[in-house]
Amino acid sequence: MSIGGEKGSASTKTPADFLKSIRGRPVVVKLNSGVDYRGILACLDGYMNIAMEQTEEYVNGQLKNKYGDAFIRGNNVLYISTSKRTLAEGSS
Amino acid sequence: MATEEESTVKEPLDLIRLSLDERIYVKLRSDRELRGKLHAYDQHLNMILGDVEESVTTVEIDDETYEEIVRTSRRTVPFLFVRGDGVILVSPPLRTV
Repeated sequence: MSIGGEKGSASTKTPADFLKSIRGRPVVVKLNSGVDYRGILACLDGYMNIAMEQTEEYVNGQLKNKYGDAFIRGNNVLYISTSKRTLAEGSS
Repeated sequence: MATEEESTVKEPLDLIRLSLDERIYVKLRSDRELRGKLHAYDQHLNMILGDVEESVTTVEIDDETYEEIVRTSRRTVPFLFVRGDGVILVSPPLRTV
């Protein structure tokens, strides 16, 4: 028996399943320091190390930096959230 | 097959592997930034960097005006061993943007 039962094949069951399902999606990654990273989630691993593309760094809601590719060390991650906003709209 | 695996990013550490012998940007704790050539790394993100430029950003508050004074001090180091637990973010040189 898996958590969440057998029904709902589209829904994710475990945190790890969720992380697998959001690869390639636009995400917001918040770090313990409060800094936000918005970009496309390329991949991640069991340590929650994250590879992102077209990453924008927000400090106190202000865009501070852009990275073509970025590796974020997992121990700094507070949460990963999917964002509907596209990159063009994300800076507004 | 092996060549295909070498050039694809399947896990985050592949991004670091593809940056070997390239100049990378490393963001560290306590507002430190490094730019240098990546010579070696391991799974902890311990890294050996060469020709490193380190910048340390400090923010002071003026006692009288309460203005924030942002200072950046830079230094260059020929070789640096970076302990992985201080690493926040690693970015390879810009390829597309």
